[in-house]
Amino acid sequence: MKTQLAMVIDSSSCIDCKACMVSCKVENKVPGGYWRNWVKQREPRFGKIPGAKDPAAQAEGCRTWIIQAPDFDKVKGYGDPGSMHFQPGGCMHCANPACVQACPTGATYKDEKDGTVRLNDKLCIGCGCCIPACPYGARYRHPEKKIVDKCDFCAKRRERGELPACVITCPTKARTFGNINDPESDVARLVKENKTVRVVNEETDTEPNMYYVLTTAPMNWPRKAESPTPIRWWASLAKPLVWAVVGLNALGVLVMFGKQLIIKDEETEK
Amino acid sequence: MSDEQIKRHTPVTIFIHWFNAFCWFFLLATGLGLIGNEQLQPLVGTWWPSMMRIIFGSGEMLLVLHIICGLVWTVVFLIYAVFGAKQYVIPFLKEILAVVPSRDVMWLFTKQIQMTMGSKTLERMGKIFGFDAKIPDQGFYNVGQKLFAVPSILGGLVIVITGIIMALSNVCITDTSVVQWSILIHFVTVGFVFAGLLIHIFMASIAIGERPAFISMFTGTVPEEYAKHHHKLWYDEVKGKLDV
Repeated sequence: MKTQLAMVIDSSSCIDCKACMVSCKVENKVPGGYWRNWVKQREPRFGKIPGAKDPAAQAEGCRTWIIQAPDFDKVKGYGDPGSMHFQPGGCMHCANPACVQACPTGATYKDEKDGTVRLNDKLCIGCGCCIPACPYGARYRHPEKKIVDKCDFCAKRRERGELPACVITCPTKARTFGNINDPESDVARLVKENKTVRVVNEETDTEPNMYYVLTTAPMNWPRKAESPTPIRWWASLAKPLVWAVVGLNALGVLVMFGKQLIIKDEETEK
Repeated sequence: MSDEQIKRHTPVTIFIHWFNAFCWFFLLATGLGLIGNEQLQPLVGTWWPSMMRIIFGSGEMLLVLHIICGLVWTVVFLIYAVFGAKQYVIPFLKEILAVVPSRDVMWLFTKQIQMTMGSKTLERMGKIFGFDAKIPDQGFYNVGQKLFAVPSILGGLVIVITGIIMALSNVCITDTSVVQWSILIHFVTVGFVFAGLLIHIFMASIAIGERPAFISMFTGTVPEEYAKHHHKLWYDEVKGKLDV
């Protein structure tokens, strides 16, 4: 069975220390202002509700939020609106990556050997079509190299037999890493023995390879995969138009050529 | 004097024509090979980019060679345009922009009928519909050739500029939307010029009566009879100059 590297995260263990973000930045020389990974926060909703003008609206806002909180109320310990929740994440090395579909040249691709989504940094010209395609905002354009960059599950560390920096650095061991298609691996075991969720945008399910044990928050933050206008126009307008124009011309040429071969008339002289 | 030859193309013209053709095909082959995305690839499936990557070793090698060939093509044409401006470029531009609508539209109409339905049909149609069935005389280039020359030059400029933008994308460009629009415009322009190129190749080499013209792109000369029949206005000018 093919290797599919994946991460299983127990977000309830996360204390938002951000050591994973720092260790990733150091390991991979991520430039200032950009991140290859993140910790998302579910904010507690006590205090001022934005837009609420009086105490009654405040109370109503709090109640509404409690009612709408997904699954949390049913899970012991998560129902309290005053609690915070932290969700470590990063590129999810999706099974159906929207970024790979967005790239014009195939510079970003799914690696057959380990299932990671990789970037060929010599082929990438930094056109940025892949960036709005990722529902998780995992990709960024490197300000100096001017090509795209993102998490590669610490490929160099893995070559040396080491775990990704974020995994090994986490003080609470919230991140577990391995080959989810290997039944003996920790990630396969965790997914088998626990209920897990994946954080997915309603309209774009890229089948991420990052699982959260039991449940997690926030859930609604991934955005729909977008494509830049020129690329959408290429696929929907330009390609059929070029086909039509080339096709018509080719047809005309073939007809004239056929006529020339078949019909021998007075025109053959001149 | 039925086999007297008239000089039509200079060695420089012949060189630049074939240099252009060679670069165009190499750039087209490698450029299509770079479109690894199946949704954008005009050829069905990804067999062409896959094959090109096998032949050239990798996608990045295709990119490097595409850019190098594009740069060589651009530089040679710049040198040609700058140093050959007076002797080649300006006369060429003058020639392809010289259009006389009444004469040339009629040529397009009558030549089209003659090519598709034959001279006899043309004559008959002239009698039935009341127009002069004689195909109007043309100059050095007929208006069909001019109709390809102008878009291919303008298209070439657009292709070079958008190509340079893409090549500079990971060098000095910070606004990715400029690069993204260049990607689209580059593709569409190449597609349109290629469509015209199909007709150019057919008309210039395969079509009936074009054999002398095709040969002239190697030898530089055309038979007198060919010039007299197909490019009479140019023939008269040349003869006028020679028979002093």
